[in-house]
Amino acid sequence: MKALAMAALTVGMLAAAPGPKVVTLPGSSPLVTFRIVFLTGAAEDPAAKPGAAALTAAMLARGGTREMSYKEIVDALFPMAAAVTDQTDKEMIAFTGTTHVDNLEAYYGLLRSMLLDPGWRKEDFQRLRDDAVNFLQVSLAGNNDEELGKEVLYNAIYAGHPYGHHDVGTVSALKAMTIADLQQFYKEHFTQANLVIGLAGGYPKGFAERVKADFSKLPAGEKKTGAVAAPKANHGTQVTMVEKNTRSVAYSIGFPLDVRRGDPDYPALLVAQAYFGPHRESGGRLFARLRAERGLNYGDYAYIEYFPRGMFLFEPEPNLARHRQIFQIWIRPVEPPTAQFALRAAMFELDKLIREGINAEDFERTRLFVTKNVNLLTKTKSAELGYAIDSDFYGIPQYNTYLKQSLAKLTVEDVNRAIRKHLRSTDLQVVVVAKDCAALKAKFLANEVSPMKYNSPKPPEVMAEDKIIESWRLDWKPEDVRVVPVEGVFE
Amino acid sequence: MLRIVCLLVAGAVAALPADAPRKAFPYAYDQHDFANGLRLVTIPTDYPNVVSVFIVVQTGSRNEIEPGKSGFAHLFEHLMFRGTAAYPPEKYQATLKAAGAASNAFTTDDFTAYHTTFSKEDLETVLRMEADRFQHLDYAPAVFRTETLAVLGEYNKNSANPISKMFEVLRDTAFERHTYKHTTMGFLRDIQDMPNQFDYSRTFFDRYYRPEYVTVIVAGDVTAEATRGLVEKYWGEWKRGSYRAEIPAEPAQAGPRTNHVDWPTPTLAWVAVAFRSPAYTDVDKDQAALDLINFLGFSQSSELYRKLVIEEQKVDLLGADDSDHVDPGLFTVFARVKKDADIDGVRDAMVATADGFKDQLVPAARLEAVKKHLRYGFALGLNNSEAVAQTAARYVELRRTPETVNRLYEVYDSVTPEDIRAVARKYLVTDGRTIVTLTGGKAK
Repeated sequence: MKALAMAALTVGMLAAAPGPKVVTLPGSSPLVTFRIVFLTGAAEDPAAKPGAAALTAAMLARGGTREMSYKEIVDALFPMAAAVTDQTDKEMIAFTGTTHVDNLEAYYGLLRSMLLDPGWRKEDFQRLRDDAVNFLQVSLAGNNDEELGKEVLYNAIYAGHPYGHHDVGTVSALKAMTIADLQQFYKEHFTQANLVIGLAGGYPKGFAERVKADFSKLPAGEKKTGAVAAPKANHGTQVTMVEKNTRSVAYSIGFPLDVRRGDPDYPALLVAQAYFGPHRESGGRLFARLRAERGLNYGDYAYIEYFPRGMFLFEPEPNLARHRQIFQIWIRPVEPPTAQFALRAAMFELDKLIREGINAEDFERTRLFVTKNVNLLTKTKSAELGYAIDSDFYGIPQYNTYLKQSLAKLTVEDVNRAIRKHLRSTDLQVVVVAKDCAALKAKFLANEVSPMKYNSPKPPEVMAEDKIIESWRLDWKPEDVRVVPVEGVFE
Repeated sequence: MLRIVCLLVAGAVAALPADAPRKAFPYAYDQHDFANGLRLVTIPTDYPNVVSVFIVVQTGSRNEIEPGKSGFAHLFEHLMFRGTAAYPPEKYQATLKAAGAASNAFTTDDFTAYHTTFSKEDLETVLRMEADRFQHLDYAPAVFRTETLAVLGEYNKNSANPISKMFEVLRDTAFERHTYKHTTMGFLRDIQDMPNQFDYSRTFFDRYYRPEYVTVIVAGDVTAEATRGLVEKYWGEWKRGSYRAEIPAEPAQAGPRTNHVDWPTPTLAWVAVAFRSPAYTDVDKDQAALDLINFLGFSQSSELYRKLVIEEQKVDLLGADDSDHVDPGLFTVFARVKKDADIDGVRDAMVATADGFKDQLVPAARLEAVKKHLRYGFALGLNNSEAVAQTAARYVELRRTPETVNRLYEVYDSVTPEDIRAVARKYLVTDGRTIVTLTGGKAK
């Protein structure tokens, strides 16, 4: 607790005006971490140019500067074992990197040129546009059924909304993009008003002020209001079935959530999520019932905030802050014969959570989990800095402090009230990635009984529960179930 | 050292000590052997509050020597969460949850690691509970059969990615007798037969889940003395075993091999060019020199990357994998190719780059830049207690001590351009080469 208090005290801000905001976490470490965050992103892609934000960020972090080619930059960074990485989300673009203080001047010189003096070379543009198209068509649609399902879910929930396309864009828009489009995006959105400079570690005295002065060369820009409209509500569950030649069936299920960090019900919903489906942990309710008890798949989790690349990560990346979030269930691929049962089992558990809530014992244990586990989320200086920037976005104190203080006051009634208020088991968006979607669709629409066959005896309570699950009514309307070929999902 | 260089991302924190020569592993750790053969490595760090425990079992898919039993080391990673009399799964999970712990496990060719990261006040609880499951794991046949389905689920989620298939075929082609022939997941047919292998699972546990195979690593906000006392208290009664697996030696490869994978759906093509590589060593220069060749020849700063990725733009991913192994393994260079028509040219460029090291001496300055990259990269990765423990685990599985890191980095420092050439002539040879290509199908 002592260290937490100390950490809380060390998060600093340079004097607010004029110029960009600076968040600092000074320390005695020989390493220095940068998080240069612009409060813009894919939500501000021009209407006909989905992908402009992400490709602009890529041109800065993975392209040359006016004076140096990309190859020269890579060679200069190499001996330092340093890099500049870019992450584009709906409302934030983050450039991050860490260097040993031995190399601080050289590293910062490169970083500054990359962000403030980009080269806009044609050959970099072609390479990075290819990377973006291949990411969508090959790495995501082609090779990763699970991340595909999650991203299609977001696109379905936010159809017709500024969040309604993948952060990387669409294939057709990327193919039509020009360097001038990116230069325009850079000019409009990479402004001082949008900029938050994050610095952590053992940088020398006066360094933060110097960085601030350098980045004050960007256009001033104007502060945004920050409001983002709610997505259109859907009546009745809508289903997107992605037809793909694949071994198994992957599901993502969700709906918009009107709660984000700082809202009164956020801590309560976080406890509910940590009880129901903590990410990649075996202690959640969904995991226990679907995987551990029934062996249906490799894992089952739930989310109240965007968590891309969850297949590869145990903790979420910071700087994905958004004004709008969704509730999401991730059912990892199931064997086709159990596909219908698995989805019904997830619906049964969601319904049960809403009807029964969580009990006092589970509440206390989960509250303790969230209270302690938050230390692990901020275990690196880079993550701590990222969370500090996100906390500023959401208008809350340092995340650890905010959670610990609000969890201390939380009651089980608060959690169950928040569950009833914000979660639902109707009017969902469901995404299915599967082979032979037409046959699976027919089974779902017919509400056929789907009994489970196990390879070992099950306890009577499981068998009794199965009787309910096997004929759980989904009541999908044929017109609300669409089958789309995988090749077209990000076109 | 795991080296998939195209994916390299810098981390944060951790000190390079100022004194020369600088130790690569900068922590003052405590290493203690118990009478039963168990080893404890305690690594106090200056990251507050958090403790990370990695339990390394020197058993991986390498130990799966019986036909039909591939994938069992990995299956155990799952079964170990199936409880004991004292801690049934629900109680185990509830205890972890109350500790706010992040807990998981992973399996490689050579070892299995169980890791838990948590707040320091829960150290005794975690060590007690871990000791219990390593000594008293007790799962019923029905539970066993259910868990084998979760393993099949894991195979299913991996199966969407063609690179899993390519590496499966590469191993199967490159090896004849050694158990590195199969992946850690195992053959699909063996996974599907796992529900019938309850008795064998108990044999496997009895053989390998013994103190002489296990090292407990505790890193973070801890002291060596208190940790040693807790481990003695809870792990001291564990009985030593006697089993030693006879891992079949791989015969020398007598000529180049090739194979091809037809992937059923559209994807970009892959090319993998592999050479036989030596077993891990922190004494000879062989592995260290190959590690350096990996970065000299195939990293983002290499000439090949400039040519294929930046200038010609025929390839969008290029890298090499030179993972440390207990036994001789593979040095594999791989590339994702944008157009099928370029596969042959890309393959030839990869082979020519490898061949180049046999003919020409690398410039000394370039070699020094790579050595500097390795030192800084290693230090940047030690940015929290969990990362420190995990890094230690990757070396403990090879030599049972983090000291091997310091020795390895001293060997790196000693490698000369002439050493690079000599090692290339020894290992990057046509007769020891295996090339696998993968191409995608057409859209419907």
